[in-house]
Amino acid sequence: MSSAAKAAIAVQGVLKRFGNHTAVENVSFTVPRGVVYGILGPNGAGKSTTLRMINDIIAPDSGEISILGTMKPGRQASAHIGYLPEERGLYPKMKVAQMIQFMGELRGLTVGDAKTRAASWLTKLGLTQWANNKVQDLSKGMQQKVQFATALIHEPELVILDEPWSGLDPINAEVLRATVEEIRAAGRTVLFSTHQMEQAEKICDSVCIIARGRLLLEGTLVDIKRDAAAGRLVAFEATDEAARGRAKAGVLADTSLVAQHRPARAGHPDEIVVELASVATAQQLLAAVVQAGVGLRKFEVVTPSLHQIFVEQVGAANAMVAERREGEPS
Amino acid sequence: MTAHRSWFVIARREFLERVRTKWFVIATLLGPVLMLGLILVPALLARTGGDKNRIALVDRSAPEDQALKIADKLQAVFTSNGWTVTRVPPATTDAELLAEVANENVNSFLVVPVDPLGKGQFVYRGDNASSQGVLLALLGSLTNVIVHERGTKVGLTTEQVDNLNRPPQIDIKLTTGQAEGSSGGAAFVVGYAVMIILYLAIMMYGVNVMRSVVEEKTSRVVELMVAAAKPRDLMAGKILGVGAVGLLQLTVWLGMAVVTLTYRDQLLGIFGVSAKGAVLPALALSQISVVLLYFVLGYFFYSALFAAIGAMVSSDQEAQQAQTPVTMLLMIPISCVTLVANNPRGLTSQIMTTIPFSSSTLMPMRFLLGGATWLQVLVSVLVLIASVAVVVALAAKIYRVGILMYGKRPSLRELLRWLRY
Repeated sequence: MSSAAKAAIAVQGVLKRFGNHTAVENVSFTVPRGVVYGILGPNGAGKSTTLRMINDIIAPDSGEISILGTMKPGRQASAHIGYLPEERGLYPKMKVAQMIQFMGELRGLTVGDAKTRAASWLTKLGLTQWANNKVQDLSKGMQQKVQFATALIHEPELVILDEPWSGLDPINAEVLRATVEEIRAAGRTVLFSTHQMEQAEKICDSVCIIARGRLLLEGTLVDIKRDAAAGRLVAFEATDEAARGRAKAGVLADTSLVAQHRPARAGHPDEIVVELASVATAQQLLAAVVQAGVGLRKFEVVTPSLHQIFVEQVGAANAMVAERREGEPS
Repeated sequence: MTAHRSWFVIARREFLERVRTKWFVIATLLGPVLMLGLILVPALLARTGGDKNRIALVDRSAPEDQALKIADKLQAVFTSNGWTVTRVPPATTDAELLAEVANENVNSFLVVPVDPLGKGQFVYRGDNASSQGVLLALLGSLTNVIVHERGTKVGLTTEQVDNLNRPPQIDIKLTTGQAEGSSGGAAFVVGYAVMIILYLAIMMYGVNVMRSVVEEKTSRVVELMVAAAKPRDLMAGKILGVGAVGLLQLTVWLGMAVVTLTYRDQLLGIFGVSAKGAVLPALALSQISVVLLYFVLGYFFYSALFAAIGAMVSSDQEAQQAQTPVTMLLMIPISCVTLVANNPRGLTSQIMTTIPFSSSTLMPMRFLLGGATWLQVLVSVLVLIASVAVVVALAAKIYRVGILMYGKRPSLRELLRWLRY
């Protein structure tokens, strides 16, 4: 079996234009089966457009999308996909149980199956007593739970969540996290988009980063962090203010050792974070710091957070676009 | 049980969500009750109105007229009508009589004038002068008595006077030479009623489809729906589901109408009213079939247009404005109703009942009036079916692009681009 055939989703060179605006430009990525995969990107990066193309809501102008091996986006694939759109919405006047059952039938369940499963979802979400109430009578938090159920009632092989955390209260965020864990444990696949890196970092196996419709980076979270860091980032804390001053004056100004200063990480205000110069090693930096007589409380090679990688990648992409713009004749 | 196709699941939801509401049940049952009421209430009112008239009768005729005993004869006729008659002395002034009415001692008073058989003018004042029943009874009694007196005065017998009074007999029926028709006026009433019902039903359910599309947009559920079903299936399911509700309601109504018209006399009899006036013709099964066929086709034609309008807008308010062109299209035939009724077999009728936007409301009426042959109906139906196919295809394209658009309404040029996607 080729890797594409094993994949939950394979996106190949997909392009989508709306009028003169290119929403998604030549994007390719592969979501392996059984993982939690995050599409990361700032607002307007093309995440929702990509997810809509996978869901066959809109068609790509060019490129290929394969789902669960050989299926194309469409009715056949839709029976295996659960979707939580960014724009949440239910029929306000429909009864809660019927709403869930209806979405199940629409995704290919028989009437009987849909009915049974809707009931068990209501039990699971603690909404049984609301089964015969209209959707509009429920609180927003309860409606969000109903929305989860509509996406998952047919036990889809592939679950697609567009900005799942937006608007969630902490309780539902926890319900969502537990649900995603459950799906992963069952060997099914989750694909979600977000611009909230903290959430993504906690839950993802693999990610890709998209900005301005282009793919910047793809891989497992572990690989990406290792590549991004490659031992180039070092954080240390001096024992006191005097030592801190000596370190800044003596070592950090040495461009053969230090390429650039980084802001301290959140929760570590006394930290000094630097990126090593290309020829230098952490060992050399440590030797230099000790030689300068700087007392140390801590010295470590750090892995960058997903947030840092994201900001760096997206920032670089934006800078490139800005440069290109300047180069263009106006 | 196997899983159903998505258009069917959607149609069933649209159908059940509507049929389960109290409003549907009330409207479906109340429609016929209203229809019954329209026939019964006037009849009942006319009877009760004529029943209870306490009338003061003043004889102010000249002494030489007294021998005619006009007042006595009127009193006798009124009493036989069931009225309560009080004789009042001639000297009683109008003000005193009005006071009696004001105090509700009597309902009305009638003054017999000087020269009652000639130029004298009878005066009737009463709180029931607006009642058709009272006026008819009054006029009838008065005419009867006065004409007889005039006859007697010139030496005619009662029989001779009755003979003079009898109107000529004439039998008017609508026919196009094919079969014996029904009474012309009555056929028009039924044809007109069917057209109005069709117009209202198509409008009501077409707008219903539009609102349903807009509701999916405003509640944002549409994204969930198009992920699970093709927009084409979504639109088809919606139109079929809402249409089934309309067909069910219309069938119930027509069924009740047939029963009402067929058993009109018996129904009136239950309420102790005897049927008078023109008898409305009962609808034949073939006629009902034609009416329902045109409802279904007309509904498809207009609901597809309404669905496209719904997809173009983002809110109910916007929809109200945007629907105007479609509503106008539906209303034009209504203003042409007399053209068809006055000459059901004319060229104008022929044209109006063949072009698709007006045929769905006007052809059933023309057919009921006997103005259309089966061939003409067939041609009109085929034209309508072809138009429905075109309109549904175009509307589906607009719908597909439109349902995911929010914000500004598309211009005509943008719409044309949507059609090319």
